[in-house]
Amino acid sequence: MTESELRDEEILALASKGDKDAFGMLYERYVDRIFNYVYYRTGNLHDAEDLTARVFQRAMNHIQNYTDRGVPFSAWLYRIAHNLVANWHRDRSRKQEIPINDLPVLPSRGDHPETRLMHSQEQDSLLRLIRRLPPDRQQLLILKFVEDMSNAEIGQIMGRSEGAVKSLYHRTLLALRDQIGDHPMTLEGE
Amino acid sequence: MSNSKTFDPDFDLTTLESHLAGTLKPVSTPSVVTHRLKRRIRLPQRSEIVTRFNNWRSLIIALSGTLSGLLLIITVARALYHLVGRKGS
Repeated sequence: MTESELRDEEILALASKGDKDAFGMLYERYVDRIFNYVYYRTGNLHDAEDLTARVFQRAMNHIQNYTDRGVPFSAWLYRIAHNLVANWHRDRSRKQEIPINDLPVLPSRGDHPETRLMHSQEQDSLLRLIRRLPPDRQQLLILKFVEDMSNAEIGQIMGRSEGAVKSLYHRTLLALRDQIGDHPMTLEGE
Repeated sequence: MSNSKTFDPDFDLTTLESHLAGTLKPVSTPSVVTHRLKRRIRLPQRSEIVTRFNNWRSLIIALSGTLSGLLLIITVARALYHLVGRKGS
């Protein structure tokens, strides 16, 4: 049986017994998704790398505690990432560091090299507005658009029902639209 | 490239969704980062130490063991000092 044929549950069973190769397989499967999530939440490549490493270190240390109760392994990883990002934001606000930089340009999957570098002011402005939203709303938008997840999948990660996610999504769009109305200068490139 | 018309406050939510889809796109993790991360999380000593010390019971045993060891060393050292000291005088 090849690595790709193994299901998460089978790999998890091995990883929870301390098999580091099995954990390595899980890492390969999920590192991009977790990195994407942390990258958009922090807006900082260096911290995204650091936090992604910490997510997997924490997962590796606590994998024996992970019990499959209908929540996928990916949901468990996202919850770890969400908590670590929340701690990171709290520490930053305590230290009163400089504001988060704009997202550095990383190539989008499938983009041509020329379009990779296209990071318009419009997108920057929208990202700034997204980052002003409460953390749960940011999480929802990232999971929906970056990870292309359904409301049901997002609900598993956020610990909400599918209906609650749908409702939160609608309210988030309305709030974002209001913010766009309140900050027209921001959207014109400041 | 800024376009204030695109962000007309009155635009509908479908337009906003299409802007979000164009902005929040999955990025490719740089391969250097992937490899660096892999090296970092696979450090055996570090992870073993972290795992061991995540357990409070192990931490308490390790601390008490260290303290007991220190006390024993001090006691033996003092005993030797007194014995050698008496012989010398």
